Amino acid sequence: MATLQPSIEELTPAPAPGTADYEVSLVSLNQWQLAWRRFRKHRMAMIGTGLFFAIILISFVGPFIVPYDPLSISTPIKGCGSGCPPSFAPGNFHPFGTTGGLQRDIFALVINGGRLSLLIGVGASMISAVIGAVVGGVAGYFGSWWDGILMRICDVLLSLPLLFVILVVANFIGQGKGDWYTVLLVFALLGWAGLARLVRSVFLSLRGETFVDAARAVGVPSRRIIFKHILPNAISPIIVATTLSIAAVIVGEAFVSYLGFGVNPLTPTWGNVLSNAQNYLSQGNWWWAFFPGLFIVVTVLAVNFMGDGLRDALDPRSRL
Amino acid sequence: MTEALAAPPRPSPAPDQPLLDVRGLKTYFHTLDGVVKAVDGVDFTLPRGGTIGIVGESGSGKSVTAYTLMRLIDIPPGEIAGGQALFEGRDLLTLPMGEMRRIRGNDIAMIFQEPMTSLNPVFTIGDQIAEAVKLHQRVNDREAMNRAIEALRLVGIAAPERRVKQYPHELSGGMRQRAMIAMALSCEPKLLIADEPTTALDVTIQAQILELIKAIQERTGAALILITHDLAVVAEVCQQIVVMYAGRVVESGLVTDVLLRPEHPYTQGLLNSMPSDKKRGERLTAIQGVVPSPFRLPPGCKFAPRCVYAWDRCQEEPELLASGERLVRCWLQAPGETARRARFEADAAATVEALLNDESEPGFAAESPPA
Repeated sequence: MATLQPSIEELTPAPAPGTADYEVSLVSLNQWQLAWRRFRKHRMAMIGTGLFFAIILISFVGPFIVPYDPLSISTPIKGCGSGCPPSFAPGNFHPFGTTGGLQRDIFALVINGGRLSLLIGVGASMISAVIGAVVGGVAGYFGSWWDGILMRICDVLLSLPLLFVILVVANFIGQGKGDWYTVLLVFALLGWAGLARLVRSVFLSLRGETFVDAARAVGVPSRRIIFKHILPNAISPIIVATTLSIAAVIVGEAFVSYLGFGVNPLTPTWGNVLSNAQNYLSQGNWWWAFFPGLFIVVTVLAVNFMGDGLRDALDPRSRL
Repeated sequence: MTEALAAPPRPSPAPDQPLLDVRGLKTYFHTLDGVVKAVDGVDFTLPRGGTIGIVGESGSGKSVTAYTLMRLIDIPPGEIAGGQALFEGRDLLTLPMGEMRRIRGNDIAMIFQEPMTSLNPVFTIGDQIAEAVKLHQRVNDREAMNRAIEALRLVGIAAPERRVKQYPHELSGGMRQRAMIAMALSCEPKLLIADEPTTALDVTIQAQILELIKAIQERTGAALILITHDLAVVAEVCQQIVVMYAGRVVESGLVTDVLLRPEHPYTQGLLNSMPSDKKRGERLTAIQGVVPSPFRLPPGCKFAPRCVYAWDRCQEEPELLASGERLVRCWLQAPGETARRARFEADAAATVEALLNDESEPGFAAESPPA
């Protein structure tokens, strides 16, 4: 009997005499370790994160593995002869099928397009996070006329219908054959206002905390207080907002490109592939629009789940 | 050579020059409801290594005085509306911000009321103390961390090598206040301002922290401004006392003088409201009425509406009258008011007598003059 039921002492061996007291054995977990512990328990967020990184991996490594150049015209497949159909359904050689007309491989298009779509989404979100954090931090910390001027700029940016501005700007700067980085910069430079407001509000409340007065009282310069003392306390909402903004920019890019005002239509992005597909949809080749669309939807969903998980994990009040 | 270049020659202060000389300090806040004169006439002088206690009810301007001296008041809505605060001959109120930053932490350090919120939750204790050291002294990270460990050891934190790696939330309130004191001491300031350092702590810890502040003040020779609303604490720790009411100094002087022979009815009222053994089981004697709203201060003496000795003359604002080392803002002490003063002095003497005979106030027993 005794062997089947191990005693509590056996399960949790008492510390050897003289090694350590209880307090010492406590491990200090910092903000990130605590957040990670909570994040791991959030199943949807873990799935979303996994999917998101899988898509990044496919998009950035895939092009080196897939034998097709997305822009090359597929050599006529053996046995095709002269009566080739306008496009191939997913099959042996082309897992996602081919486009009509030029017979491009859709899988190659989607993963190459993903590279740019993700780059634009992540890049633009990162840049606007930095701008938004700096603007919001300065406005919230210094207040008075800094706050007034910076927040009026934000109001202007927020009152503009962003997508139309992007259409106009992309058309104007890119002269109709926009480079991907033009689109990235347009999203980055016009998209920070919301985050700036968020950061400002967090700064306004943290500004009144005693630890900020304490930092000033030991002579910490303002710049250091903003970026080293307050910003780390505001990092959670910034991370969450930036993550969710990745999804928004990806959709935005797809939308603008679909309308033909985004990235040069000859460069594959998810939006461009969708855009090219629309004329052929009536012919029944669903795969052309389906796969880039699927990737957009999955990516956006994955990013949103990730953002939800981060929101819960980074909230210091959460007791997950 | 490099040493001489690093430190620009500064005129060495005259030996008889006080460390801090505050005159006519005024700090106003401009709010939507009007101007709040939070501090409206504060004067005191603090010698090197001296200790001064600032007491008064909530809202009397004690903390604002401390914040003003550190230039921590937000402008706007705040405004330093007048006065001088000469620290080693330099006026803290008009120094350029860059100079002020060098003084903060290095020459003047401050301990705050709320140990729970005065440490940054995202840094370890060690990082925060080391930062204060690095800001003012040319030391590398390792040296700064060693100084942090030493400072923690000095304030009686066990196993400081481990504590420096912990975050504020892992420390108790008393420990955090010790860590704050360690941070304040890490640069060996000449002046330590403690803004109600024990208010948020429980009673047993309060005594420990006060003992610590007192011991360290004696050991390092730093001057101390202790802001509190506890007269017993002042009696134990300080040499001088400043009693504030509605933003003004109403009475100041040596602790032994002021507390044993109060000359302002407000000081007497504060003493009278202290709990003691004799009064056990009775209601505490409170000063009648409440602190006036800062938007509707009475025209004359601000304490007059609550003062049992007030008469017609109190409709006029009294000046701060000097009598020896004492400063008092009360018409009772004006020349010619002998009869009224005699009545007040009799009451005050009775109040002090009651406290002195009370064994439960060790601070007062210690201060009692040799019979």
